[in-house]
Amino acid sequence: MKRDDSLKLLSEVRDLQIVDCEGRNCGICDDVELEGEPGARLTVTALLVGPGAYTRRLPRWVSRLITPMVGRRVVRVPWNSIEKISGRIYLSIKGEVAGLRTIEDRLETIFKRIPLS
Amino acid sequence: MGGLIEITLGIMTAVGGFVDISELVFAAQAGSRFGFALIWVFAFSTIGIACYGEMSGRISAIAKQPVFNLMRQRLGLRWGLPTLIVSSIVNTITCSAEIGGTALVLQLLTGWPYGLLAILSTLLLVAIIWLLPFKWIERSFGLLGLAMLCFAVATVQIHPDWHGVAAGFVPQIPHGLPAKDLVVFAYFAVAIVSAVMFPYETYFYSSGGIEENWKPKDLKINRLTTTVGFGLGSMLAITILINAAVLFRPLHIDPQMPGTAALEVAIPFGTTGLLLALAGMLFAISGAAVETGLSTAYSIAQFFGWEWGRYKRPHEAPRFTIAWLVTFGVALAIVLTGIAPLELVEWSIVFSVVVLPLTYLPLMLIGNDRKYMGQHVNGRLANSIGWSFYVVLVVAAIAALPLYFVTGGGQV
Repeated sequence: MKRDDSLKLLSEVRDLQIVDCEGRNCGICDDVELEGEPGARLTVTALLVGPGAYTRRLPRWVSRLITPMVGRRVVRVPWNSIEKISGRIYLSIKGEVAGLRTIEDRLETIFKRIPLS
Repeated sequence: MGGLIEITLGIMTAVGGFVDISELVFAAQAGSRFGFALIWVFAFSTIGIACYGEMSGRISAIAKQPVFNLMRQRLGLRWGLPTLIVSSIVNTITCSAEIGGTALVLQLLTGWPYGLLAILSTLLLVAIIWLLPFKWIERSFGLLGLAMLCFAVATVQIHPDWHGVAAGFVPQIPHGLPAKDLVVFAYFAVAIVSAVMFPYETYFYSSGGIEENWKPKDLKINRLTTTVGFGLGSMLAITILINAAVLFRPLHIDPQMPGTAALEVAIPFGTTGLLLALAGMLFAISGAAVETGLSTAYSIAQFFGWEWGRYKRPHEAPRFTIAWLVTFGVALAIVLTGIAPLELVEWSIVFSVVVLPLTYLPLMLIGNDRKYMGQHVNGRLANSIGWSFYVVLVVAAIAALPLYFVTGGGQV
């Protein structure tokens, strides 16, 4: 892969909707994890999802302001869990397996106790 | 036959759901202060909302992308997050204005205390959203809002100067106005652009397209709803302006309270007219409260990639459900502080204009992206209108706040 292609991939993957193998929304790709030596080829190894990943992309004062509210949680989704990228990132695994639906699942259990929900 | 019924219902829903408290207040005030001179701004803005509405519906049908997903992708986090924050604040303020307006109309009908009616109407709206699927919510409020057609019947009944009305469709600035009134005229022009092109309308419409699982075959109904439906809805708002110009202007009545507009139908048709106008206003305004409350939740859920939609049961999209419940809670709290609905309308109008350019830029970019849209990319007409309006919106966004402060919200 050429250097400019890598940069294009980075900009095209970041901020895309992640959808699991059951078609459920599992968050947004907030950042990517790269591996490589300075001057050598960089390889994308994982998607990073969660406030800890997006707050560091914000101006420092904004990050300091919102981190106490949203926390620093980051979920690392291995690159090989991706089935395809086309407008969205489609995973080949369930969101729970990738660790992406923990809050949603916890809330779902609570909501199920409410009548007519 | 089924398709024809679907198209008719879609258009009728768009007509009944077009007018909200801001259009009601600003149309009546514009007519009362400047006669027919601001009709063209309504007509002009309607072309803009029809163009962007059509684009957002087309993107929903083809790319299956709602507005805030696109915003995150195209504007990135640095521009997307401030847009989300400002639009959520604006939507919540607008929602509180709509709840306040609903309570005012109910107060006129029942005489019960305003605060109690605000609480009861919020609880009822929350129950409706909790229990009904999207299509039922959209259709029932839109169709019941058609009672607003009594304003158009009143226009025919009061025999306005039709030549003057027709002349109002020609872009103009009234001659001989003192500088102070010219600034107020400019404020009203910007406010009407904002009221007609409220960002929540696009958020709601495009999310609705995904809720209803639109496909390429639905592009026809999308085009008809946004052109014919929005066009007729705008005509309804224009009749409120015409009635105010004929009935209020000669008597120097400044219709600041939303309920005053109901007199436009009460004068020609008596008690029956008054009740019909209040019923129409009740459904139109409470329908807008539902739209603004849900739009806030749509925006937040789409921006962070959560499960969302009223086609899911509340427990299947729990964070989305919490988002709209919190929005209604905050909106009600704002109403209960005692701030007048008119003041809330003015704030929502001014700040809406500021986020409009950021709302519509991603639509224009994706609408032109063949990778997402294939053969359904924007045509020349959509691009010409879209980019021309974009320039207008940027100018309006820059002018909105200074005009608001200079005119004291049009009260000078």
